[in-house]
Amino acid sequence: MEGASTRGVLSHLSLLEVQARNRGSQVPQQPSRVKELKAKVEALTSQRDQLKAELQIHKKLQKLRAPADKHEEDGEDEEMDIDSKSSELFHLMARHSELTDLLHAHNLIGGYDAITTNGGKGMCFSLATEYEGVYLDTYNLELNLKPKVRISRHNIPPFIPLNSLAEQSDLQTDVGAFLATVSQHLNAFAGRRQQLKLVKEQHKSVEVMESNLLCSILVLMFTVPKDKTPLLCTLEYTDHTRCLPTRVHLNCHDKLLPDSPNWKKNCSLLKEVPVHRALMAIKKDSDIV
Amino acid sequence: MDNSVKHLLQRLIRRIPASMLKSTLDKWGRLTAENRKSLDFTQSKWTIAQELVSICEESELTVKHITELEMIYITENPNQGMWHTFQLVDPEDDAHSVELMQFKEQFKSHLSELKRNVSVKIKKHTDEAVWIRVAWGDGLSRPNHLKATYVVHYLQTPYVFVNALSSKHKPLLLQALTLSTKHQQIKAANLSGQKLTALRDLLMRQYQQVFPTKYPSPLPESDQSISKLRIEKVQAEASANRHRMAGETFGDGTLPALQSAVFQLETKFKDPTNEAMTQRDEPFICSVKFSSSNLLESLRHCAASGIASTPVTPLLSSIPLKGRNYFVITDNVPTA
Repeated sequence: MEGASTRGVLSHLSLLEVQARNRGSQVPQQPSRVKELKAKVEALTSQRDQLKAELQIHKKLQKLRAPADKHEEDGEDEEMDIDSKSSELFHLMARHSELTDLLHAHNLIGGYDAITTNGGKGMCFSLATEYEGVYLDTYNLELNLKPKVRISRHNIPPFIPLNSLAEQSDLQTDVGAFLATVSQHLNAFAGRRQQLKLVKEQHKSVEVMESNLLCSILVLMFTVPKDKTPLLCTLEYTDHTRCLPTRVHLNCHDKLLPDSPNWKKNCSLLKEVPVHRALMAIKKDSDIV
Repeated sequence: MDNSVKHLLQRLIRRIPASMLKSTLDKWGRLTAENRKSLDFTQSKWTIAQELVSICEESELTVKHITELEMIYITENPNQGMWHTFQLVDPEDDAHSVELMQFKEQFKSHLSELKRNVSVKIKKHTDEAVWIRVAWGDGLSRPNHLKATYVVHYLQTPYVFVNALSSKHKPLLLQALTLSTKHQQIKAANLSGQKLTALRDLLMRQYQQVFPTKYPSPLPESDQSISKLRIEKVQAEASANRHRMAGETFGDGTLPALQSAVFQLETKFKDPTNEAMTQRDEPFICSVKFSSSNLLESLRHCAASGIASTPVTPLLSSIPLKGRNYFVITDNVPTA
């Protein structure tokens, strides 16, 4: 009978009374709660407005981007009623976003300028060379993609062993690796050639006795200040992917000179620093004329 | 100086054009200043030759010096005679590090092993070309300096250019070259002509090739002065396309002055109206030769103007692409 009394009308009434009392105690919190909620609503609304505006701008920018991206004609521009001042800004912003995307894509394909040819059956890559911040020659390489990946035309000089490099890296699966190796060889060659050019320009007292097309060997004649002794220096660049020599060899009538501590230091300098700059240092130390 | 040497000198003087004689002799540097002053270049060549013979006799110059003079003359004026190209294949691992001294020693020793009594002179030119002069003798006779062979090779490239090589001496020379450049084989490259500079520029790609690019540089308007707004070239686009394709195939600007191309046809005769010929089983052997003062520029013009259809047929585009000007064409496929 006890259980029945808790579920009876009276118990229900007492429950309601408790609830009413509780709600009553909450009433003073409501204004601040309302304020909170109102503030939140305002913040959310302004955020929504901001996002809407950004979306609009983005849409407009998309429309302003180069026609190559979309097949839209000038007629679309009329939909946008933007005044001239902000239109300039919009155009600049569109251009900026276009260029950033282009740069990103350029980096994705390894930094080479590439273009498809022959209706997609071929690709032509442009390999630039540079040394010490100066752009040198650009070489081009065309590949046929179907039925197999094959080298088609190019203007890479014959002393760069293109065919053996193609055999070493699997052309069918990893064109990127092949291009990276070719670019490495070309850049190293361009660097060595540029160093030779600078040696001839900047160091007239040094005579170039021998060089070759690949610039993989350089024989220089130094004049030692004391007695004007001639000193023959051979630089061998056996690693064709590097701009620095792998071996430096000295020849002199005076057999003791190459073994002197100064010249031992100079030899290691020539292996670590590009030759035209190494010669500057050697001259400064008055080891050569 | 014996008669053969005198004869050699006289022939050489006759060969050198009068306009180049003085400068070549100066480069030679074997005549003293007073000798050079005493030579009167307004005289006839015959007289100059006679004077030179006596000067050389006085200075006790030998055949070695005369051949030096010949080499200087040919090196400065290489576009004479007929040059044939060979290609070295299958390089060994250290082929890429062969340097000049090594090559010189090896070539001389290999050649003298193969044939005694040869006179070899090797000189490096300023453009890194290695020039070799070989005068051939045999076991019994002295080297014949009147018919010397000249060879030009750039180290670390596969190409060798040869002039005045008899079939008798060919295998010896080619073997010496193969061994001294550390390759395993050498084969004919099917490129020949009078102008060494043209052959070299073509193979070394020393001319302006054109590659497809996304951002073509704008071509300068060539006839802006006479452009009239109302004249519109009806086929402007087609013409521009032809020019572009011709440029991409052959190149831009001045092209290496190749002077001929020969297509040796060994194909069956095809003429439905001539049964007598078509009935034959054997292929019809025919040789087609194109000649021009600058063949590549002529062919480019043919393609650009529409005389030759574009895209350029592989028969013609193979000339710059493969760097050869002799082709044998059979019924199956043009042999590569």
